[in-house]
Amino acid sequence: MFPKRIYAAWFGIHFLLITAVCLAGLFSLIAEGATMLPSALEPYARKAEVAAAWLLAKEAAASSPVRRGVATYLHAAGIQAGYTFFAPNVPDYHRLTLELFYDDGRVEHESPRLRGKAAALRLDSLLDRLAKQSYEPIREPIVKRLAFSVWREHPDVKKIRAVFGSVTPPGIAELERGKTETFQPIFSFDFSLRDGHGEGQ
Amino acid sequence: MAMAKDNELRDKSETASLFALRSSLDFLFPSENDRWLSVLRIGLGLQTVVYALFLRSDWHYLFASSGKGLVGREVGEAIASFDSPLIPKLSWLVALGPSVNMSEEAVLSIAWACLLCAGCFLLLGLFCRSAAIVAWFLHLCAAESGGLLAYGADNFMTTALFYLMLSPLPDQYSFDQYVVKTKPKNAQLLGFWRRVLQLHLCFVYFIGGLAKCLGNGWWNGANLWRSLIRPPFNLVSPDILVRFKYALPALGISICLLEVSYPVFIWMKKTRRIWLICILAMHAAIGLLMGLYLFALVMIVMNLAAFGANGRIGSHRWLSWRKSTVAFVEINS
Repeated sequence: MFPKRIYAAWFGIHFLLITAVCLAGLFSLIAEGATMLPSALEPYARKAEVAAAWLLAKEAAASSPVRRGVATYLHAAGIQAGYTFFAPNVPDYHRLTLELFYDDGRVEHESPRLRGKAAALRLDSLLDRLAKQSYEPIREPIVKRLAFSVWREHPDVKKIRAVFGSVTPPGIAELERGKTETFQPIFSFDFSLRDGHGEGQ
Repeated sequence: MAMAKDNELRDKSETASLFALRSSLDFLFPSENDRWLSVLRIGLGLQTVVYALFLRSDWHYLFASSGKGLVGREVGEAIASFDSPLIPKLSWLVALGPSVNMSEEAVLSIAWACLLCAGCFLLLGLFCRSAAIVAWFLHLCAAESGGLLAYGADNFMTTALFYLMLSPLPDQYSFDQYVVKTKPKNAQLLGFWRRVLQLHLCFVYFIGGLAKCLGNGWWNGANLWRSLIRPPFNLVSPDILVRFKYALPALGISICLLEVSYPVFIWMKKTRRIWLICILAMHAAIGLLMGLYLFALVMIVMNLAAFGANGRIGSHRWLSWRKSTVAFVEINS
C-alpha cells in the first residue's frame, strides 16, 4: 500500500502552485490593461498579482531558500509560466534587421538565421521577448551576439547596424485594399567590428 | 436533552467531513489500468525523438557558449540562475567535460545523443524509468540553457516528462514488462497520476480560454487572422485565408468556448468524446496550419493519455463512491 496522505499533500501543494502561477499571469494581463475589462479593475488586479507572487515566494529575498526551492520546483515541473498563449490578443511580431557596411561602401541587409524551421520558431520567440520592457537591460548584449553570429559569416564587414522594431500586419480589410505590413523601429545599435569584437554605440 | 442535540449535531458534522474527505480521496485515487500510461510513454518517446531530430542541425549553434553559437547559452542560464542556482543547465554537464578530457562540443553532442536514445528507449519501453528521468533532465537542461529561445512547447514537454518520470512505470506494453515480469502496479496509484494529468489539462485550457475571452480580438476573428499571418506561422497564404474571412469570428469564438468549458464538458460522459475530438482537431490544425508541430504533438499526447485511453477498471470507483454515499445516508438516518 502506498501513503495516500503524502500523495494527497503533494497534490495540494502542486496545484496550489499551478493556481498561483496561472492567476499571477492572468492578473498581470488585467493590470497591464491588455484586456477588455474596465480600467478601474487594474489596481485591484495589480494587488491580486502581488498576492499570487507572494504565494510563489517571489516577494522573498533573492537568496531566500524558500524562494529558490519554489523556483527550482516550478522549473523542474515546467509550471513556471502561465498558459496565456496568444491571449488576450495576438501581439505584433518583431523583426531584427542587420545592415552590413563594407569597406568598399557596399551595404547588405541580413537577419540572424537558424538552419531548421523548428529552431527558427525559437528565434522569433527571442525577438518577441526583447521587445518587452523587462528585457531592456539585456537588449544590447543579446543584439550584439546576434550581430556577431552574422558577422562570423561575413568577416570582411566593418560595421553592423542592428535595427529592431515591431511589425503590424494588415487586417483583412486592409489587405484587400492592398495595404501591407508596417514596420515601427523600437531601437537600434551600431556595432563596429575590430579584432573580432563588437562595440555597441 | 440539549447536550444530546449538540452531540448529534457534532456527529453529523464529523460524518459530513469524513464523507467529504472520503469522496475527495475516491476522486483522487480512482482505480485505473495502465493503458493511459502506455499512451503517455509512447507519445512522449516520439515527442523526444522528434524534438532531438528537429534541433539536430542547430543543437550546437543554440547551446554553445558565447562566440560560438547564436547568442550563447550564458544569458539564458544567468536568467535561470537568478531564479535559482539549483535549476539544471547544460553548463553543469559541460563543466564535467574537462575531468574526462572532453571538449564542450563533445559534451553537447553526447547530451543530444543521450536525449535521442532516451526518446527511443521510451518509445520501445526499454529501461522506462531511467529513460524517462534522462529525457526529463536533458530536456530541462536544454530548455533552461536556451531559456530565451524557449516557447510553450518546452514547458509542456517538461511537465509531461515530469509526470511520466514519477508515474508507476513500466506499463504492460513496455519491453521491460516482457523481459522482467513485474507484479501489476497499484491501480489506485495509476489512477492518481492520471488524475494529476487530467486536472492539469483542465487548468491549462480554462486559464488559456479565460484569457482569450478577455481579448476582443478573439470575438471578431482578428486574433485568428493575426495568428495565421504572422511569420513564422504563416504557412497558409493570406489570399486563401481571406476567402474564409466570414468563418474566422465563429472559429475564434469556438476556440474560446471550447477551452474555457473544457473542465466541465470533458468530465461528462456524454460530452467527453466530442470535446476531446474538438480539442485534438484544434491542436492538429495548430500543428499543420502554423507549423507548431512539437506543441501540437505534446498536447495531443497529453490529451489522449488523460482522457482518450480507456483506463477504468470495472466499476470500482462507482462502487466505492456508492459505498460511501450509502454509509453517509445510513448514519444520518
